[in-house]
Amino acid sequence: MSISDRFAELAHIRDSLGSLAADPSRVVMERFLSPTEAVIGNRPTILVGTNNYLGLTFDPGILNAACDAMHAEGSGTTGSRMANGSFSSHAALEAEFAEFYGVPSAMIFSTGYQTNLGLLMGLLKPGDKVVLDAHSHACIYDGCRISGADFFAFQHNDPEDLRKRLRRLGPDAKGALVIAEGLYSMWGDTAPLSDLCAVAKEFGAWLMVDEAHSFGVYGEKGLGLCEEAGILDQVDFITGTFSKSLASMGGFCVSRHPEMKLLRYGSRPYIFTASSSPASIAAAHAALRAIRSRPELKVRLWANAERLHRGLTGLGYRLASPPSPVIAVQVPSHEEAARMWNALLDEGVYVNLVVPPAAPEGASLLRCSLSAGHSFAQIDSIVAAFNTVRDGAAVPLSQSAG
Amino acid sequence: MSYESQDIEQEILSTLFRFLARFPSKAEKLTAQTSLTADLTLDSVSMMELLVEIEDHFDVGMPLNAMANVHTVQDLADQIKSLLENRS
Repeated sequence: MSISDRFAELAHIRDSLGSLAADPSRVVMERFLSPTEAVIGNRPTILVGTNNYLGLTFDPGILNAACDAMHAEGSGTTGSRMANGSFSSHAALEAEFAEFYGVPSAMIFSTGYQTNLGLLMGLLKPGDKVVLDAHSHACIYDGCRISGADFFAFQHNDPEDLRKRLRRLGPDAKGALVIAEGLYSMWGDTAPLSDLCAVAKEFGAWLMVDEAHSFGVYGEKGLGLCEEAGILDQVDFITGTFSKSLASMGGFCVSRHPEMKLLRYGSRPYIFTASSSPASIAAAHAALRAIRSRPELKVRLWANAERLHRGLTGLGYRLASPPSPVIAVQVPSHEEAARMWNALLDEGVYVNLVVPPAAPEGASLLRCSLSAGHSFAQIDSIVAAFNTVRDGAAVPLSQSAG
Repeated sequence: MSYESQDIEQEILSTLFRFLARFPSKAEKLTAQTSLTADLTLDSVSMMELLVEIEDHFDVGMPLNAMANVHTVQDLADQIKSLLENRS
């Protein structure tokens, strides 16, 4: 394919969104009123699609920490840690992640995407075997693809299918890498981690869990779904991002294996990327301490999730999963999803429009991500908006998608 | 190519034709050279479903990375044959 063909292909994708009059890239947040409200198109709009789970992006302590770090250490690091050296703040954040998880190894990366890319490219070589959940995030697929490993998908959240896939690998199952996520970002469902872990261990496979959407919101301490499932002592690698609950930009990987830190010498996305800026590191560090010291944030988030789930269920909407910080409304067609997404925006509510191929298994979704920063009044306004836009639907959604 | 190898390849191709028959085709007839994407317009979801069926039928695991080199029915048959040979 030539570059001009590729431009034509991309234009086709843009035009297909344009024909739905629902190109999310045209949404510009002109001014923020709070972590959960911004001015979009001159209109105050409730944000329920920004993964700001704990609502910490405007927390005064976090803002002050970021400002102080910028004044003390500068606006940027101007290079990678392997070339320019580490700032003490990078090392301190890694030490706190290791201490929080009670493990010997923690590494931080410049984005969440690069965390999974960096771990997988650092760990895997051509010929290695990986079995990943079919709903895994793009960065997991990309990391596997670039590594040159042979990778196989097991059916979403299906431990028996994982067992079948590992069995088919024969002797190669021992030492294979199994990958799952904690909370899946599109459907808002959680992985049966203790069952998946048992199957992986039965074959002598390694287990990696991406807690991008579950860190800070699951588990008694907020460590994620692995904590809640009681498998922290068995999972081999846990990754996460700073750009959700941690209200910043970057990512982390922790491991019970001390050798994981050796990836500093062989992970290209770690070696050849500028390290996170002092402000980003300080914000993430302050947010990490907020997760540890303010459990009420998690309580508030869950109360909001349950309230929205109850409200939408009461309106007859089909929801993809039980209450969680991600509540996805299933819509029969992408045209209808686009119409509703636009109508919700007109009502002053911003959600995520997810159409295939971004949505797994061909469904179209109106995806809501809750925040501890939402008030009950905002949740009720979101439900009211969903009620208003439903009235334009040709048939009740609860009866339409079979 | 031995007779046995040819037989295996024919059996794989026949099975694939059976699986693929349900997809609308732009080509007049399904052949080994039929393109999975251009002629059969298999989208990514259909392709994944098809792969699961094929894997279950032959009891093999098809690496997703290998699919980058699979364009025609023949390419798919070659992949399956290679996996079966490596297994035995």
